[in-house]
Amino acid sequence: MSITFVMCSLLIAGGLAWFAEGVKANSARYVALLLVLIISVYFVFALIMTNSSADYNQLHLLVRVAWINRFNIEYALAIDYLSIVLVSLTLFLSLICILVSWHEIKEKVGFYYFNLLASIAGIIGVFTAVDMFLFFFFWEVMLLPMTALIAIWGHENKHFAAIKFFIFTQVSSLLMLVAIIAMAAVHFKQTGQLSFFYQDWLALDLPLSLAQYLMLGFFIAFAVKLPSVPVHSWLPDAHTQAPTAGSVLLAGVLLKTGAYGLIRFVLQLFPEASLNFAPFAATLGVVSILYGAKMAFAQQDLKRLVAYSSISHMGFVMLALFSFNAIAYQGAILTLVAHGLSSAALFSLAGMIYSRIHSRNLMNMGGFWQNAPRMGGFALVFAAAAFGLPGLANFVAEFLSLVGAYQVYPLLTIFAALGLIGSAIYGMVLFQNSFQGRFQASLPAPEKSLFKDLSTRELLVCSALVSLLVVIGFYPNLVLTFFQTADIALVNHNLAGAVQ
Amino acid sequence: MTLMMLHNLLPLLIVAFGIVLSLLLIAWHRSQKIILIFTLLIFACALLASISLPININESVQVTALLKVDGYGNFAVILVLLASMAVSLLSSKWLTNSLEVHDEYFVLIQLVVLGAGILVMSDHFAALFLGFELLSIALVGLVGYGKNCQFSVESSFKYLILSASASSFMLLGIAFIYSQTGSLSFAPANIDSDYGLFYQAGMLLFLVGIAFKLSLAPFHFWTPDVYQGSPVPITLLLASVSKVAMFIVLMKYWFSQSYIFSEHNGGEKMLLIISLLAITSMLVGNALALKQQNIKRLLAYSSIAHIGYLLIVLLIVSPQSIELAWQGALFYLSAYVLATISIFTALVLTQAKNDSAMMQIKDWQGLFWQHRSLALLIIVAVLSLAGIPLTMGFIGKFYLLNIAVQAQQWWLIGALIIGSGIGLFYYLNIIFIVFHTGQETNSNSKEHILPLPALKFMQKLTVITLIFLGVFWGVLPDTLSELFAVK
Repeated sequence: MSITFVMCSLLIAGGLAWFAEGVKANSARYVALLLVLIISVYFVFALIMTNSSADYNQLHLLVRVAWINRFNIEYALAIDYLSIVLVSLTLFLSLICILVSWHEIKEKVGFYYFNLLASIAGIIGVFTAVDMFLFFFFWEVMLLPMTALIAIWGHENKHFAAIKFFIFTQVSSLLMLVAIIAMAAVHFKQTGQLSFFYQDWLALDLPLSLAQYLMLGFFIAFAVKLPSVPVHSWLPDAHTQAPTAGSVLLAGVLLKTGAYGLIRFVLQLFPEASLNFAPFAATLGVVSILYGAKMAFAQQDLKRLVAYSSISHMGFVMLALFSFNAIAYQGAILTLVAHGLSSAALFSLAGMIYSRIHSRNLMNMGGFWQNAPRMGGFALVFAAAAFGLPGLANFVAEFLSLVGAYQVYPLLTIFAALGLIGSAIYGMVLFQNSFQGRFQASLPAPEKSLFKDLSTRELLVCSALVSLLVVIGFYPNLVLTFFQTADIALVNHNLAGAVQ
Repeated sequence: MTLMMLHNLLPLLIVAFGIVLSLLLIAWHRSQKIILIFTLLIFACALLASISLPININESVQVTALLKVDGYGNFAVILVLLASMAVSLLSSKWLTNSLEVHDEYFVLIQLVVLGAGILVMSDHFAALFLGFELLSIALVGLVGYGKNCQFSVESSFKYLILSASASSFMLLGIAFIYSQTGSLSFAPANIDSDYGLFYQAGMLLFLVGIAFKLSLAPFHFWTPDVYQGSPVPITLLLASVSKVAMFIVLMKYWFSQSYIFSEHNGGEKMLLIISLLAITSMLVGNALALKQQNIKRLLAYSSIAHIGYLLIVLLIVSPQSIELAWQGALFYLSAYVLATISIFTALVLTQAKNDSAMMQIKDWQGLFWQHRSLALLIIVAVLSLAGIPLTMGFIGKFYLLNIAVQAQQWWLIGALIIGSGIGLFYYLNIIFIVFHTGQETNSNSKEHILPLPALKFMQKLTVITLIFLGVFWGVLPDTLSELFAVK
């Protein structure tokens, strides 16, 4: 099982796609799709082959070699179930990304697929790095191609959105870098040696006064990525301006790196400080839920609507994580997966509509059902998933989060539950405005008749997403089995830390 | 003076002797090609001599009272020589544009290198002043060299007057210091004695002189105009050689004052002044660079910010950190010099018009789709200046943050983060312009879109080497930092 191999081959696949496009037009997408498919199959097989011998409840170290001796920095990768689930989600969504950009990208196609795959390689690095310098390295490396995706292939206001996205994440991650260096300095003080290795840090004895500040450094970086109110404002712009695959990748996986960082680093490295901070973080989560739902309802722009709904959904993750409760924790993990699928689905849908009418404005939509009933059906399922209809993955996820959080913050959870009503409202606004009613007169005449139903490729994308949403919705243990023991260990660890 | 001292001084002696030979060469036969090759040869010999010096990084050889050769200074000499070789090569392209023969130009460059070499090896105020003046006066000649260029008179006068006043401030400061300590050596004779207010005033005046040359805010006003008005290779010389030499000498002086770690003589006040200079430079430099459209002006402002970041290494609080501070400074300077050389190489190679003072960022529009290697060079250099991982600049910034965290300088860290945040805005803007895909601007700016001639083989090789080095040392910094690590 070699994550390094997966990352390198993704990069090489990107390079090959770029090269292939130069040799023969329109070949990049086939190359990219085929190679990513092979890499995903390799990942799954390698996982199954080694599963019997390894216990992924704990971090399972894959590789650890010296990298920068001056600072005792190592190249160290490790996986546990959390990483595996998120890497699988990443690989699955990367296939979706390639499929949704099939006809959308017409300029600089080769370079586009290179950026897409490079970004995915960086994201996989983030989910598996256990040396903090290496983690930061990947954290930044995934940003560069992502910014390029927005800046080169985005919509009308792309430069502004790309700069905003980059500066928000970069400045917050510099705060994290300072916290990382300070942690290494603390390690130096206590043991006489610099170390950036995650498991060395777990053994550190941090005074609470210092831990609070360091925790804040990490928390801000991850809260920006999650995103949480009040540092969310990059997200609607980035989502709206990004090409479809960029939005899918952003909502589907990039936001999850923030949640992953909260789980892996903030909660585990600073249990006591996080517990002190928890009421504040949980409040931020609830504010995000309500604010995101309210803002989503007010949008005219389809992609902006979905973007605000993402803020709302990630609020549940924040609330659940800072409840320090096993059920809520399971809910948070499931929300990551469910939201990854449902938001990817909604953004793909937005991309499909955009490719037909060249507009994201809900005012220009309406009555699509007449021409495209299959698309309408899928849209209904996706919208239902977003507002948490029972039977779909999001319902289980949000239900578990709320049940868990209620035991700790009853009042906050009541408010959070109101967000579910809000999501039903904006979900219906989305669906009614686009698929019901009549064709809008403002639309140029020829495009009315050109509004086609789903093509085979789009059908494949939609049905893959729907089937996963339904399967997880009916059988959430598919994901949750992996977190029955690990999460309890986490919560116990935290509570033990707090009691001391 | 023993043979070993001479051996240690060999790089400087080679350059000094080379200057004499160059003058003879000019008297014998004026040819731009020969003098260029000769200059490169001198620099290469000096480079070989300094690489082969058998000194460890943490030991030093006192060569008379004036000079002290140590590993750090030696590395700085290597950096200066490499940068000057780049300057000479770029000059040859710039100078072909006019009819005259420009032999003196190369002699002036050699003089600048000699001045920089004396500066980084000095251990005495007399040597410092000698190097300082040699560097400045030769630079004045070079700044105004392009006599047909629009701003050449303005910029050389500005540089002349301001650097003369800076050096007079510095001289006054040195005199004050001498009046109290009775010694012109960097390290004060008696560490524990209290030298009083006069000594501190001397320090302050001395710092002002250095700050002028380093263009730290608020002594930065000359920088953008001089950068813009000078010929492109000379701007590179100003940005790399002059900055490296001045900063290294400042560090040498600073770390030999052990009082900065003691309570005497207002060490804390000096630290406060340095941090104020650093913070204002970071913020002012980045803020003023935001709206610049002219590449050279933008680089001028960004260099102010970079020297501001670099000042962090002076603010250590314990003698144990001196080694890390030196390593951090040398790595950061190497990253900065490499990035600056890369950008200026790209600037020279993409320059369509004769007058470089007008080079706008938008002239690079869509470069990525025409000249991939040149565009990559610009991107790597800009990312390195912005301090993004995969490049050397990030490792440099990592060093600085390490030093700052160890010294617990939270205000400076805050300023660095804010400054970098502002900086990203204009750095990213350059990258976006390089990647620009739109067709809408072609019509109104036709002259910029002139297809550039394809690169010659050697040019392409240089470009690829620069890209490779920037990324290689960014991913594997050990290969560089081992050169100045304590063995």
